[in-house]
Amino acid sequence: MKKIYLHPLPVRIWHWVNAVSFIVLIITGLQIRYREVLTLTKFKTAVDIHNFFGFLLIADFFLWLAFYVFTGKIKLYIPPLNLKKFFMGCVRQARYYGYGLLMGENSPHHATPDNKFNPLQQTAYFMIMLILLPFQLITGVLLWDIKMFADWIGLLGGIKVVDFIHVVVFFFLTAFLFVHVYLTTLGITPLEHIKAMFTGYDEVEEGGN
Amino acid sequence: MWCIISLILAIPASAGAKKLPLFENAGACMGCHSSREADKVFKDKERISVFVSENDFKNTVHGALNCTDCHPKVSLETHPGRVFESKSAFLKDASGICRTCHTDSQLKAKPNHAYMAEKRDAPLCIECHGAHNVRRVAEWKASLQGNEYCLTCHHQNISKTLRSGERLSLWIDPSYLASSVHNKHACNDCHSEFTRDSHPIKIFPNIREHSISVSDVCRRCHADKYTLLKGSTHYNLSFQVGETLITKGNWKAPVCTDCHGFHTVGPKITYEILSGVPCRKCHEDIFKIYAKSVHGMAKANGVHRAPLCSSCHFAHEIKFTAMTDKIKSACLGCHKGVEGLHKKWLPNAELHLSVVACAACHAPTSEKGIFLQLIDQKTGKPFTQEQIMQLLGTSYEELSERLNAHGQGIDSYELSYIVKQLNERGSGAKVTYLGRMDVNRYSDAHQLSLKKNAVRECESCHKSDSKFFKRVTLAIIKGDGALTRYSAKPDVLRSIVSAFSLKQFYVLGSTRLTVVDWAGIFVVCCGLLFPIAHITLRVLTMPARKAKKLEELRKGEKR
Repeated sequence: MKKIYLHPLPVRIWHWVNAVSFIVLIITGLQIRYREVLTLTKFKTAVDIHNFFGFLLIADFFLWLAFYVFTGKIKLYIPPLNLKKFFMGCVRQARYYGYGLLMGENSPHHATPDNKFNPLQQTAYFMIMLILLPFQLITGVLLWDIKMFADWIGLLGGIKVVDFIHVVVFFFLTAFLFVHVYLTTLGITPLEHIKAMFTGYDEVEEGGN
Repeated sequence: MWCIISLILAIPASAGAKKLPLFENAGACMGCHSSREADKVFKDKERISVFVSENDFKNTVHGALNCTDCHPKVSLETHPGRVFESKSAFLKDASGICRTCHTDSQLKAKPNHAYMAEKRDAPLCIECHGAHNVRRVAEWKASLQGNEYCLTCHHQNISKTLRSGERLSLWIDPSYLASSVHNKHACNDCHSEFTRDSHPIKIFPNIREHSISVSDVCRRCHADKYTLLKGSTHYNLSFQVGETLITKGNWKAPVCTDCHGFHTVGPKITYEILSGVPCRKCHEDIFKIYAKSVHGMAKANGVHRAPLCSSCHFAHEIKFTAMTDKIKSACLGCHKGVEGLHKKWLPNAELHLSVVACAACHAPTSEKGIFLQLIDQKTGKPFTQEQIMQLLGTSYEELSERLNAHGQGIDSYELSYIVKQLNERGSGAKVTYLGRMDVNRYSDAHQLSLKKNAVRECESCHKSDSKFFKRVTLAIIKGDGALTRYSAKPDVLRSIVSAFSLKQFYVLGSTRLTVVDWAGIFVVCCGLLFPIAHITLRVLTMPARKAKKLEELRKGEKR
């Protein structure tokens, strides 16, 4: 086993701001949508908090985007052009999570700073960071001031469509959060990956590809 | 000689035929009645002069009569003795004497007297002819100037019977006329067909048609008001004033005289005080609610700028206000800067102000609901009932039956089917529903409360069990602005079936789709189940992993 510097400081800042924002947005979002069920704060307070953390998440997203674009590391998120190879990698990784890990096999993927994500992570993060999250942020801004963005809302098919996208993405991101947190416990020790997101250094198996 | 002729002409036949015996000569009466100070006091303390000018009397057609001819009950023994309740009672009694000689048959010979012959409440003889200085009306009337000429008769309690049997009063109180804004006008400025030489007999079917006809006169001077009136709800509900044509048959809809009166037209200020509001004559129920509102209370407390009916609805150009911004504009006309004030605390304030009626929050006890309107997304204009009927190729009855099927309200399928059909039938429009929150009853819009009582709690609306979102109405506007309301089923706003047709209507928490909620629960549960399932598998496969590790250790030891 060896320790490698996997998460640079901007990434760690982005990640934890993102994490806190996600949790707050999920809770306040639930309260806004299901007011009759969840009454932690007043509706307006929930809306105000939701708006604040929504814009914080937008700023955080651009921090992430700027870092990854300007360092050229954005390619970490983009699946390779060789889709067949990529697909086989996904199958191998899925087999690992579904069988190999249970049988005590080693992961077929070994993280390096230039190849941080396994194919399944790459697919999931590509979908989340470059498709779902932008959709969520855009629809969130549109819903923030419906009157101001009326024309844009019209282009997207109406307010109900915008709300539908926002809510559906919200459900998927919430579901993802459970899976994500669980998968972080699958390191050498249950807290290894989480610690790494604070220190930047993660412990990986030697001889990884 | 002339005395003899005048006696023959003037003294009624009955008087001549049965000469009353002289009880005393006139000198005895005039001993008292020649004094200008002499007067009579009635029980109600009213006084009347009993002075009689002997010279004037002698020159009248009754100059040859003795006092007791007309006052047969007066005797030196009993006079003065008769006591009357009031001046009017005395005059009525005195006038009754005239009919002793001037019988009904004689009166009926002349049209203007024929009316009085059988009327108990007809004007008294002496009101026109005088008491002692009796003259033919024509003798003195001709010398009267201006309106006095007409008022000679019309200040009397006269009336005429219309075809309907209703009696139309022709009485005009000169004091009312004098205090009206028209006090400088001659009678025939309005009643142009009446002159000193011409008094056409006009017979109206009923009093209402008389009012309608008379109101037509007003437009001659008030053309600007007439133009405003012409586009108003009242006008379109009632008739075209100019042609006196009843178009919709609503005879109760007001005309000029209903609000302003006939001869008592007051200055503008008359209608700007609570007691002078003419609207209450028909809209008393709403006025009572208004009177208890913050505006009504302010008005009653002397706040002159507090709004009355016409402040929001205007005086003449009264329009239908439901599903329009007219009332909102009226509110903002006085409450300047409220948009900014709302923005300080209300998220999406501009949106709220455009889709929530002011009264929905500022009349906190009002019954509220959601009103859906079919609009063209391209133009933002609502489809009228006439347009919908034309595009759907249906009659009003068929449309009503369809939209109110079985009286249970429109369901989601029908709601979306209408939009689909309107879009398909080549209207060229992008038809959709636009929703807004408003009060359910017109009267509720008038019970505005103090600012501190206004609804500020977002939770009132933004929750799925908000009752306001279960009271859904499809509001279809007619060409003239009137609204036809069709109730919709309570679940239409949350149904996936009508989701597409309602794609422009969304309220946080209140209109969420039930099916999306269940799909969301499923997705989140999947996310939650993955770790649970995987942990379970890891626990179950722990022996296998341990066995493998031992195997590897054994292999390592062997090496």
